[in-house]
Amino acid sequence: AQRHSQQDSHIQYERVGADVTMKCGSMDWDAAVTWTANGTDIDDSHLNGSYLILKNVDLTQSGQYSCYEGSSWHLKYQTNLRVGVPPKEPVLMCRSNNYPKGFYCSWHLPSPTYIPNSFNISVIHGTREMVCEKDIFPKNRCHIRYLQLFSTVKYKVTLTVTNALGKNSTTLTFDEFAIVKPDPPESVVAKPVPNNPRRLEVSWQNPSSWPDPESFPLKFFLRYRPLILDQWQHVELSDGTSHTITDAYAGKEYIIQVAAKDNDIGTWSDWSVAVHATPWTEEPKHLTTEIQIIGETLTQHKPLALRGPGYGDPSAGGVW
Amino acid sequence: LGAGQSIQKTYDLTRYLEHQLRTLAGTYLNYLGPPFNEPDFNPPRLARAERLPSATVDLDLWRGLTDNARLAANYRAYSRLLKYLRGLDSQVGTVELRHRLGHFCSSLQGLVLSIAGVMSSLGYPLPAGPAGPPPSSGTPAAPNDFLKKMDDFWLLKELQTWLWRSAKDFNRLKKKVPPAVVTLRIEARGF
Amino acid sequence: GLVQSCGHIIPESPVLALGSNFTALCILNESCLDFGNIYASQIIWKMKNKVVPKEQYREINITVSSVTFNDTSSLASPLTCNVLADGQIEQNIYGISVTVGLPPEKPENLSCIVYQLSNLRYPMNCTWNPGRHTFLDTHFRLKYRWSRESFPDCIPKSVNNSCTISDVQFFVNLEVWVEAANALGKAESDRLVFDPIEIVKPLPPHNLSVNSGILPTVLKLSWENRISAAVMKLKFNIRYRISSDTNWMQVPPEDTASPRTSFSIQGLRPYTEYVFSIRCMKEDGVGFWSDWSEEKVGVTTED
Repeated sequence: AQRHSQQDSHIQYERVGADVTMKCGSMDWDAAVTWTANGTDIDDSHLNGSYLILKNVDLTQSGQYSCYEGSSWHLKYQTNLRVGVPPKEPVLMCRSNNYPKGFYCSWHLPSPTYIPNSFNISVIHGTREMVCEKDIFPKNRCHIRYLQLFSTVKYKVTLTVTNALGKNSTTLTFDEFAIVKPDPPESVVAKPVPNNPRRLEVSWQNPSSWPDPESFPLKFFLRYRPLILDQWQHVELSDGTSHTITDAYAGKEYIIQVAAKDNDIGTWSDWSVAVHATPWTEEPKHLTTEIQIIGETLTQHKPLALRGPGYGDPSAGGVW
Repeated sequence: LGAGQSIQKTYDLTRYLEHQLRTLAGTYLNYLGPPFNEPDFNPPRLARAERLPSATVDLDLWRGLTDNARLAANYRAYSRLLKYLRGLDSQVGTVELRHRLGHFCSSLQGLVLSIAGVMSSLGYPLPAGPAGPPPSSGTPAAPNDFLKKMDDFWLLKELQTWLWRSAKDFNRLKKKVPPAVVTLRIEARGF
Repeated sequence: GLVQSCGHIIPESPVLALGSNFTALCILNESCLDFGNIYASQIIWKMKNKVVPKEQYREINITVSSVTFNDTSSLASPLTCNVLADGQIEQNIYGISVTVGLPPEKPENLSCIVYQLSNLRYPMNCTWNPGRHTFLDTHFRLKYRWSRESFPDCIPKSVNNSCTISDVQFFVNLEVWVEAANALGKAESDRLVFDPIEIVKPLPPHNLSVNSGILPTVLKLSWENRISAAVMKLKFNIRYRISSDTNWMQVPPEDTASPRTSFSIQGLRPYTEYVFSIRCMKEDGVGFWSDWSEEKVGVTTED
């Protein structure tokens, strides 16, 4: 169906797939005119008299359209056609990574609209409207300061997105505690433990965004695996920011990550940046002329993998 | 017990209660049935539920609470919540749920006593009586089953929230009162 | 003719401490005097059917005769008061049963263990040494309380040296003691004060699984813990042996001394079947080791 085009003086927005008719300003229907798109003449097949007819427009037809009077080439009409789509339901996410200071909401559109959109967010807590202060960067984000803590009243956040072709909105309702999700731990370090071929010492720090670890302690989840394997091993740690892995494969390089969570509420952070480390291994002896000495040393010495009786080699007589 | 130790124990008990309530609340809400067990259920909070001691507190106020005020607020809240909970406890239909509610009530009673123990070990007087009128007086019981269930819903939610708050409260106190602090002798009959 | 209730003995059915002395009185009714022509002097005391030596009698007055035993160990039931009436026929006036025993001793060696039954049920069993046999009906009660709240006593069933409290609370100090009582007295054990979380014997880990990886000398043991971290953090012992061997080897305890749900055992023989078992206890070593878990078999890969 032919739509009457919305138009402000310079920009004209049209939906993908729409049929667009442009009049050449005040020129009569039967006047001789020339239409250009971005400076290129449009052939007469698109004209109906002096009207420009664009059927089932697509994105590529966005551009500047001009109409000139036939003989004098006098510019009679010009518009900037922007072909786009109305906004789909925006994706809204709210999260508190700095509890109990506040929480932020960020949003994006599931698919582009190709035309400018404006966003408006409202945050209601019970009967109170709260201010969501826009962040300079990233753009689609704002943050809310908690005025009250430990509330059983849900927060209701509504994001409305509007562009020239339509409007859409999303509403999230959540409890204060449900959105608490710290940032990953920082400064993760893994080191071998001298003289311990099966140990790795891992340490990390609370995420710097977490404002008050003293009052709001975090607990941690450590995962580690040798590069030669796909399956992780996990350990949950409820206090402290270090752990000693005691069953690392001797001599194998390990990949290690840590996640964090408030001790009582909310969900786990994403995994930290991965760090690599290889357990301590005994320095190979100097291969000098005294090879026979090394030979004797090796026969007395237990195989590297063993560490004291009862650990691995039944002949070691490790009776439980 | 020194103050530091009894605060640590109270903190552990709070987390143990929170652990119990996490599964107990789910089981109880399933027992109440839909819509109470739906994650997004967000009923209005009617007059009776408004009488529950609210854990909500102004952030700066909460931070600035004295140890005495912090403990007293917890003591009053759980004393009253326990009364409400015991009202829930008696009419529950299944034996297993009744057992778990009974155990939880006993744990909560333990928490009230633990808080009292911490307060006396720090030399603070116990609050005279829970702030606000006793649960049942003045407000008629819920006129119908649905409204009664709604009250139960809010009771469990407020209790869960209080336990989260208390974990932070006692964690804060833990940091301020290290285990080795010599405290006032608990009166002779106590131990 | 049958003598109508001519008198009675006091005390009535006494319970007496072994080795103590005892005196009983037989009191004749006035009516008995008038027409029965019976006097205290004629009273004969008997134990079971044996006459009590007269030296132990004393005529208090014409209606009351006493008998005294310096050591109740020799006493037997019934103790009867009898007279010779009408032509020397012995006639029973009254009889009592005498119980001899000992007051309860102070129960000793009270100790308690919380046996985890499931992830929500933690009964506590307490045992004690009930002390000597008292020869009397002696009741034991396990009593327990918080500093400001008491609980109903735990009454032992068919035993006198243990009782199980069905459900204990953690993280609140509990005062526990035993009270023994019989007709001769009461005794209390020493009082224990502890937090039940410190005497838990947890259930062993379950759902064990053994995975062989790429390395022929390594097997990874995984399991599920049956006690929540909110209740207690655990440490472990892991033991393993070659299937055909009876000697167990153990992973160094210091390597499994913190919470976990898996462990890679290394230094094993390639292409060999091993049996694994694991147990756990509270991480800080306070409490009891669980039993060993079910055994699980795994085989290392070929070299």
